[in-house]
Amino acid sequence: MSDSPLLKIENLKTYFFSKGRQAFTRSVDGVDLEIRRGETLGIVGESGSGKSVTALSVMGLVGAAPGVIAGRIGLKTETLQKNLLQDLDDYVELSCADGRVVEVRKDVVGWQKHLERLMGKVRGKVIAMIFQNPKSSLNPFLSVGRQITEAIRLHTPYKSEAAGRERALYWLDRVRMDSPRLRFDNHPRALSGGMCQRAMVAMALSCEPSFLIADEPTTGLDATIQSKIADLQAELKADLGITTMLISHDIGLIRRLSDSVAVMYSGMVVEYGPARRVLAAGQESRHPYTAALLASVPDERHIRGKERLPAISGDVPDAIHLPKGCRFYGRCSRVTAAIESECAELLPPLSDIEPGHAVRCWLFEGSWRDA
Amino acid sequence: MTPGTILEVRRLKKIFVQRRGWFSRLSGGERLIPAVDDVSFYIKEKETLGLVGESGCGKTTVARTILGLTPATSGSILFEGEEITALPPEGLRALRSRMQMIFQDLDAALNPKMRVRDLLSEAITVHHRLTDAEVERKTAELLDQVNLKASKLPSFPDELSGGEKRRVGIARALAVGARFLVADEPTSALDVSIQAQVVNLLLDLQKRLGLSYLFISHDLRVVELVSHKVAVMYMGMIVEIGLSESIAHAPRHPYTRILWSSLVERQNDEASRQAPGSAAGSWGVFDFERPAAGCRFAPRCPVYEAKGRPAVCTDPASAPRLTAAGAAHQVACHFPLS
Repeated sequence: MSDSPLLKIENLKTYFFSKGRQAFTRSVDGVDLEIRRGETLGIVGESGSGKSVTALSVMGLVGAAPGVIAGRIGLKTETLQKNLLQDLDDYVELSCADGRVVEVRKDVVGWQKHLERLMGKVRGKVIAMIFQNPKSSLNPFLSVGRQITEAIRLHTPYKSEAAGRERALYWLDRVRMDSPRLRFDNHPRALSGGMCQRAMVAMALSCEPSFLIADEPTTGLDATIQSKIADLQAELKADLGITTMLISHDIGLIRRLSDSVAVMYSGMVVEYGPARRVLAAGQESRHPYTAALLASVPDERHIRGKERLPAISGDVPDAIHLPKGCRFYGRCSRVTAAIESECAELLPPLSDIEPGHAVRCWLFEGSWRDA
Repeated sequence: MTPGTILEVRRLKKIFVQRRGWFSRLSGGERLIPAVDDVSFYIKEKETLGLVGESGCGKTTVARTILGLTPATSGSILFEGEEITALPPEGLRALRSRMQMIFQDLDAALNPKMRVRDLLSEAITVHHRLTDAEVERKTAELLDQVNLKASKLPSFPDELSGGEKRRVGIARALAVGARFLVADEPTSALDVSIQAQVVNLLLDLQKRLGLSYLFISHDLRVVELVSHKVAVMYMGMIVEIGLSESIAHAPRHPYTRILWSSLVERQNDEASRQAPGSAAGSWGVFDFERPAAGCRFAPRCPVYEAKGRPAVCTDPASAPRLTAAGAAHQVACHFPLS
């Protein structure tokens, strides 16, 4: 296992131009992330924090929409090394007036073609993705077996129909699908949510990708099935050692499966570090948002006492009119008089508070280097 | 009906008929789906009954039948001592000023073309004829009750966040003066931080206004937190009902135990205490369903397996019934856990 990261995202910015409001929705606004080989990186955050858009940017699925994407996504495997965003800017033209963007001209066809050139050999084969809603992500007109076989014949050396089918059955069995031979010919509508999710996982893994993105793999499933899918992910992680980016707002799931964690808020990473440091219970040195997020999950004490939960007041800031200073300032309960002016006016940098553990907050700014 | 009981459901049944083709009645192609099968429970005033179970077990059908949105096939529902299963339309209208539902789908429950102000005033005036000034006053009162800012009044639903939409939904239910609310998955589809706000709001309102809730959710932790009693449903039947503490921490039915042990959070705790691959695995869960004769849970039941598949479990004549198992605790199982 080499130490160089498999995927390195540098200053990723994914904006969508809203014609009605003549402004950019800054969905992802300067994200830096690294995923080492064999590691599982968990990304947590509220809806609208840019988790999914980060994943879609990596997959090159921010396409025809008036999306603008900048930064660098470096992918490095044994056989391949490239920037997944190479020269994409050439297809976008911004016209500004009075310092405001008034129009985005995008060569959609050229952008799409270029993206396909960049991603064609990568998507599915090197990077696979498990989507949020298994029922609507599978093709309703094809049996699950055929869909998996198709992917296998396209991306792996198993080119013949028979070999592909055999391989698909192997993967269905591998994800512990109940009686795979029977389910092979079922259409997605005949399968339960849990079985569809298993089929999705089988399809994603069947091309033996180096990197897997799982976007909310358990959301919308029943509790019993959620834990089964989590078990499956844990087992596959142990057996295959596949590098994974796991996106979820279920902190329990992230805590269980991740090696390192990035907490996202309003399009930015506000805390990044080893999972056991970031999500550990009762820890002082962490971002106020992470602390508040962890506190709002009902724990034993609140359940037993039927107490009120410590909720985060207010809402996620509007991604168009983002506050000037710290993006969590309006909801933060730990602003002190000493740092208040900075919180309101200046965006804090993401800086280390201990080796490998970074926090974007004025509370901790400089604390590590001074100490 | 004992005093202090706001709602009592007795032997409620709802059977849906699925017809295949025009002549199904003749050719026998009808399929009967017993969505709710012989369900009985009661809810006391100012209390919350949690209703849990996997999707498709009939939770929402129970709720819809109580509100008269779906007619019951048989059984009776008493609300404040009054039989409400066969009410005429005018009776139902009057009834809904006393009980309301908080719907699961946030976007479908609010008319996207109405502003928050109109959504609220519509609900306020639907049962009572009021002057504009009174509507104004009542709107302000509702906003205060659900902690919504007055600046949101001119907004359309799609300009609101999930938590705000949920608040508007709750305010509409309160607007008619309902004392009993059926909350169908009020926190699913919300983020944890917003979920906490909604849970707190429901708890506060119960305290301040003396509301009773039927709280339906598959988020077991939230159910445990807000409910006084919990009923566990499996394939249309209640398999266990009791105080929320005992359901969560001393379950008697194997299904209840599986449900609660499947919480990812709890598994984390257990995993940290036990070595991996130890006994916890034997309480694993299954994600496919095969209904059986007799006890419906038998095909998935670890106790049934452990006992060497006793015949009584799958005997159609001896389906387990809810029987008392300790204080305010009932369980439907031939071999309840101790």
